[in-house]
Amino acid sequence: MSIALTTSTSMSTSGYPDSMRELIAKVEATRPERLKSSPPRMSAEEREKLLREWHPDYKAGTKRPLSIGPSKGELVPHEVADLLEAYPLISPEEVDLSQIDYDVDVLVIGGGGAGTVAALWAYYEGLPPERILIATKLRWGDSNSIMAQGGIQAADRPEDSPAIHYLDIIGGGHYANKPELVRALASDGPMIIKWHESLGVMYDKNPDGSFVEKHGGGTSRMRMHSAKDYTGMEIMRALRDEARNIGIPVVEFAPAVELLMDDLGQVAGAVLFNLETGQYLVVRAKATVLATGGFGRLHIQGFPTTNHYGATADGLVLAYRVGAKLRDMDAVQYHPTGVAYPEALVGQLVTEKVRGMGAMPVNRHGEAFVYPLEPRDVESAALIRECYGRGNGVETPTGMRGVWLDSPMIEELQGAGAIKRELAAMWRMFNRFGIDMTKEPILVFPTLHYQNGGVEIDEHGWTGVPGLFAGGEVEGGVHGKNRLMGNSLLDYNVFGRRAGIAAARHAKGKGAKLGKLTLDHIVAYSRMLEEAGVSNDRKAPLLLPEYRGERALARSLKIRL
Amino acid sequence: METVRIYIMGKEYSVPAGLTVMKAMEYAGYKFIRGAGCRAGFCGACGTVYRKEDEYKLRFAVACQKLVEDGMYLVQLPFAPAPRASYDLEKIRPSDNVLLKFYPEIARCVACNTCTKSCPQEIQVMDYIQAALRGDIRRVAELSFDCIQCGLCSMRCPADIKHYHVAQLARRLYGKYLAPKAEHLAQRVAEIEQGKFNAELDRLTRMERKELTKLYEARQIEEGVGV
Amino acid sequence: MKVLYYPGCSLKTVAESFERSAKLAMAALGVELVELERWNCCGTVSALTTDDLMHQLAPIRNLIRVQEAGEERLVTLCAMCYNTLKRADLWVAQHPEELAKINAFLDEEPDYRGKVRVLHLLELLRDELGFATVKERVVRPLTGLRVIPYYGCLLLRPREVGLDSAENPRILEDLIVALGAEPVDTPYKTQCCGSYHTTTHKEIVAKRAHAILSSAREHGGEVLISSCPLCSFNLDNRQRLVRELYDGFAPVPVLYFTELLGLALGLDPQAWISEQHYVDPRPLLEEHQLLKR
Repeated sequence: MSIALTTSTSMSTSGYPDSMRELIAKVEATRPERLKSSPPRMSAEEREKLLREWHPDYKAGTKRPLSIGPSKGELVPHEVADLLEAYPLISPEEVDLSQIDYDVDVLVIGGGGAGTVAALWAYYEGLPPERILIATKLRWGDSNSIMAQGGIQAADRPEDSPAIHYLDIIGGGHYANKPELVRALASDGPMIIKWHESLGVMYDKNPDGSFVEKHGGGTSRMRMHSAKDYTGMEIMRALRDEARNIGIPVVEFAPAVELLMDDLGQVAGAVLFNLETGQYLVVRAKATVLATGGFGRLHIQGFPTTNHYGATADGLVLAYRVGAKLRDMDAVQYHPTGVAYPEALVGQLVTEKVRGMGAMPVNRHGEAFVYPLEPRDVESAALIRECYGRGNGVETPTGMRGVWLDSPMIEELQGAGAIKRELAAMWRMFNRFGIDMTKEPILVFPTLHYQNGGVEIDEHGWTGVPGLFAGGEVEGGVHGKNRLMGNSLLDYNVFGRRAGIAAARHAKGKGAKLGKLTLDHIVAYSRMLEEAGVSNDRKAPLLLPEYRGERALARSLKIRL
Repeated sequence: METVRIYIMGKEYSVPAGLTVMKAMEYAGYKFIRGAGCRAGFCGACGTVYRKEDEYKLRFAVACQKLVEDGMYLVQLPFAPAPRASYDLEKIRPSDNVLLKFYPEIARCVACNTCTKSCPQEIQVMDYIQAALRGDIRRVAELSFDCIQCGLCSMRCPADIKHYHVAQLARRLYGKYLAPKAEHLAQRVAEIEQGKFNAELDRLTRMERKELTKLYEARQIEEGVGV
Repeated sequence: MKVLYYPGCSLKTVAESFERSAKLAMAALGVELVELERWNCCGTVSALTTDDLMHQLAPIRNLIRVQEAGEERLVTLCAMCYNTLKRADLWVAQHPEELAKINAFLDEEPDYRGKVRVLHLLELLRDELGFATVKERVVRPLTGLRVIPYYGCLLLRPREVGLDSAENPRILEDLIVALGAEPVDTPYKTQCCGSYHTTTHKEIVAKRAHAILSSAREHGGEVLISSCPLCSFNLDNRQRLVRELYDGFAPVPVLYFTELLGLALGLDPQAWISEQHYVDPRPLLEEHQLLKR
């Protein structure tokens, strides 16, 4: 029986419907010309105008000022405001704080990249493994970190420098970034890559050992380090393996539902919730690192998302209730190229590396309409304008619109086999649905990708609340109003590390004495909500998004078993 | 709406055609705690085992990347009990027998290829175990690179091999010891430690927006892949 | 008296009268046959089964790889691999119905079509290049070197896969002559080296090695050549044990036939000679002035 390699690929759809195939012919017709030149980069004025007119951040009626809390008055998306202006899931009477389940120096909340890095550096800083605890909502490593495809930036080539990287970051972020954070990100980059090299991360290298480095959107030097298009997975696997060797304790399927404080006003651990048994667990910690990631699963403005199942902004909610400030929450990153077809994959990421390697966005007439590597917000706005402003999008059988990303150009520019070699994950994903991206273009549309802002930190990852540190996507200020490709993997490493070190030092410091544990702050927070007239039907954190079918939900009963 | 019949752990549900297994289970009313992670094929949380009602073959997929098919009997693997070896990468070396030393059970491989058949990533799992037996760390690293560590191979192996752990060790050994080192990186790290860029960064962090904008707009964009 | 007894599968199906009569007769004699509560097939089905399919999967999979590469022949160096691959190939050629079963099991692979020919490198030299051609290419004849050809079992047996006469092979001798050296005939050249006993019964292997090597020495041989890593290990590395067990044993260097070929072609042996040789062949090669280019 010759069923060629069909363990999981038996095809139930066969690629594109005829209506889309006809349009692909137009893409093929213009390809030879487009291989010779691409549209020019936009001027600063053109970008500003495009963003104002077409970027979702500028759409009226999608945000509101926060009515309470340390960042009261700041504009955030309704979906975020709904969670910040929501009542706690637990009440102090339900939780016995005299029974401590875990008593540690450093509690890390979140088992993705930032959390794992923070735990590792808390250990390198001198804490014994058993004095550290990682608590995570899903499995260790289930995170946006493991999904990152394209690469990680670091200015390590002679043609490049941390100063040039600095300029790319702050210009890409529309100068809203916190300068000391930008500086930390740019100047720690090479050291992070060197650390990874020593951990055995298999970056793409040339035969002489130098890294294969490419451009990303908005970079002025080629500094994108990659591991095929499994960059995030390769780094996460190695970090987790290292932490497992060291023996850092981890409790999975146990999200934090509230931070604990003490009567001295410090953050002093968290209440975890065992998702499988329904029990709570009390963690007392001298220092707490928030590494809970971002908010993609809130589906801001109804966008599909590239994010993992647990990206529900829990950390923002918890931090806000203990008095941490938020910043840049008005800016949301839409990745220009999410999958628009097939329907089953809508919203999943098509890495920027696809454009980095030469694929060009093309409209329904086969025309190029935008420079392929503008910063993400600009590129996204251009794609949205093409589909909804100019009517040049390609419509799918379910009515979704998108533009072509002309992936066969990659094989023309980089030689046959380049896609399977360097974009293995992308090729595999589309091939599972009968689309061969080496021969046919793929259809894309912007998708909700990243929380540009977050909990404000200083360059040590401190939130300003005693005992509370943060690293990774949950924190804000590093990327201003727009993050560049390859700076999120770098962010979680740089600020995960800094937060881990700062937390360990704080825990070892002379003043690290905890008072009596309390949940009074959530009582006070609830009172603020009541005073602001917020009705108590909204609860947060969300923990997991609701995707059950409407018919199933309509019949669900709340019977306790 | 076109629908298909699927059997989730034996219970029949009618779900819309064109959904992934993951979305179909949610449509049917299941709320995932285990069995859903990245939802995009990278994390290995949703390894799924299924049979079609008219086939004897057992098939494998990740639920977020597999469309439902009519008559599919399916279950997800919530967890793979496969303890890993513990090692200090600084203290071990990429010798011919290091993989065999930490995972001696690889010598039990009879080349039945069941692991390869169960891999939703279509990795040549048996081939890398055979390479591991021969001490070819580089080949193990290359063949296993796309592994999402779902554990399906190790749940099927008649020789009780924990393939994905063997591969993880091989990749780290390769990355640390066998891949050539990047000299330009070491140089740059030394320059940063010596403070070579401090003055320039001091200036930039204090710079007014107007001046920064001017510098940013005047950047020279390096020619090369991606431009 | 009660006796625990094992019935076996046939007594429960086609030989019911056997069991019934036995039970009744023995009861009449006052003996109760009590059936073992938990039992499975005695194993004779597995023991007598001739298909042996599991053992064929690995070699056939390799032959499928050859097919995938678009080739019709495959050359091996190791005598063990040669023997295993060739036997599997032969076996499926003679058992088409078993090949169909194997192809059905290997459903992740293309069908094996049975068109691959497995060759040993010696056959390639003899039958395709020809020893005459080899002789013409020799730039450094190994004149005066007395070489013991050692075949062992796997190049010659079983007869269907043997690449030469199992009784009186010539292929190694002919190669030795082509290279300008002198073949030394010994009665042990096709006898077993002790094979995998080397892992559990080292002394058996040492005994074999002693017999083979001493005979070689007595016949005036200076160096032994082999085409099998296991034979070479047993005859070379096990000399350490031979020396412990047998007084007055004089070591004999062991080379692969390809090492001899390389020397005669004028290649620098430093390019391949490794520390894996237990008995250092270099003094002998030096003596015959074969180490210098």
